[in-house]
Amino acid sequence: MNTAFYLDQFLFAVLPYVVAIAFIPATVYRYRARGFTYSSLSSQFLENQQHFWGLVPFHYGILVVTLGHLVAFFLPQQLLAWNSRPLRLYVLEISGLIFGVLSLVGLAAAVMRRLTHGKVYRVTSGPDWVLFALLLLQIASGIGVAVFHPWGSSWFASTVTPYLWSLVKLNPDLTAISASPLLVKLHIVNAYLVIGLFPFTRLVHILVIPNPYLWRKPQVVRWYGRQHA
Amino acid sequence: MNCKPLFLFACVVLAASAARGQDAADFFRQNCVSCHTVGGGRLTGPDLKNVTQRQSREWLIEFIMNPQAVINRGDPYAQKLLQEARGVVMPPISGMTRERAEALLALLDAESQLPKSQFVGLQMSDRPFTPNDVALGRAIFLGERPLANGGPACLSCHTVKAVAPLGGGRLGPDLTRVYERLQGRKNLGAWLVAPATPVMATTFKQHALQPEEILPLVAFFEDAARQGGQDDSAARLNFFLLGLGGAALALVAMDAVWRRRFRSVRRALVENARRLAR
Repeated sequence: MNTAFYLDQFLFAVLPYVVAIAFIPATVYRYRARGFTYSSLSSQFLENQQHFWGLVPFHYGILVVTLGHLVAFFLPQQLLAWNSRPLRLYVLEISGLIFGVLSLVGLAAAVMRRLTHGKVYRVTSGPDWVLFALLLLQIASGIGVAVFHPWGSSWFASTVTPYLWSLVKLNPDLTAISASPLLVKLHIVNAYLVIGLFPFTRLVHILVIPNPYLWRKPQVVRWYGRQHA
Repeated sequence: MNCKPLFLFACVVLAASAARGQDAADFFRQNCVSCHTVGGGRLTGPDLKNVTQRQSREWLIEFIMNPQAVINRGDPYAQKLLQEARGVVMPPISGMTRERAEALLALLDAESQLPKSQFVGLQMSDRPFTPNDVALGRAIFLGERPLANGGPACLSCHTVKAVAPLGGGRLGPDLTRVYERLQGRKNLGAWLVAPATPVMATTFKQHALQPEEILPLVAFFEDAARQGGQDDSAARLNFFLLGLGGAALALVAMDAVWRRRFRSVRRALVENARRLAR
């Protein structure tokens, strides 16, 4: 047994449980103790020109890509059945890549806006910057995986899904994951970190349902609370 | 003297030893038959009949548990095995322990005594491959013909030169020349019975390939190797460019869909005032 073995055990069999165990109490505590911080604290009122190019492409991109991952997790056989024709596989993979690139472009635009606009820069917190860095790494590594190790929609369903379900069943099977390329491992570990930081960052806004951001009319919002006033 | 407890103890010992034997046989079937036979001749790895007479048990256990380490330290017998396998290193076997290695050696001793071991290997037909075999193999590779036991199509992780417009997967190796690498139909066929690499083993343990699927696949790989070459990276570049182009179009579409978006408070006030002034 060597260092790589123990590192894999830690990253793929321990870290996900640490993240899952921390996630629930931390999100509940934050909701109960500091309910008004359950928001992404819109900065639209401070700057509304570049805001669109961060907000819209990023959110539509990341939502579709995340949905794809969920489909592979919950319906692997149906996904493999869809992919059983190369043309259908290509349509799915190209669509996934398009939305992945959209989310990267959107996030890059959002980060640039926060760096270059004084007012928005001043209301960007430390956890925000950490989150942006992790998300940039997550999306860039995801695009890297899509391009350098295709076809993820099929092999996710046949290798990553069984690994994730083995975690759910409390009987981790790391055989396939341990042998995966470094980029794939990076994408998975970074996903755990993003989920781990979820309760401590603006990501909590995902949990606030009903969540009609996708179809409601555009509206300018102002902040509620004193800390960033 | 009451013999009952002794009898029960003997039964338990026998049952435990039979279970261990079965466990070793199952383990061998899942992890070893892709490269080894017992009395069926050499595949990628050597025929393991009477292996314990060729090397000491201690050496064999050490090698089974970590082949790469024994090769790395320059052991001459390991170097010879490596040369005979044309440089293919035995992969580390997931779940291998000293006890399991000992059980496997006991199994190999027992199987070597039999006139015909259960691990003599896949008896694949020697008939020449037909164009139909190649076409069927190609359909299986692409996924157009689903695998009987529900395994994922080869295209998910592997590519073969010019197999499809955007190529195949790149999680596993390019299989254009796999027929040559594994030295022909017997080895490749045996490998496909129980693929031994960690990702393949995990994926196909529950979805083993059927003999009637293996033959056409081998035919397809033989055909691909005969045509030669390797898959080029243009397919990946095209895929990436399609993604970039699609994203650019999507950005244009978003700008168009939200063209009446609210851009700034002041601009709206100014426009409103101008409209009222007219």
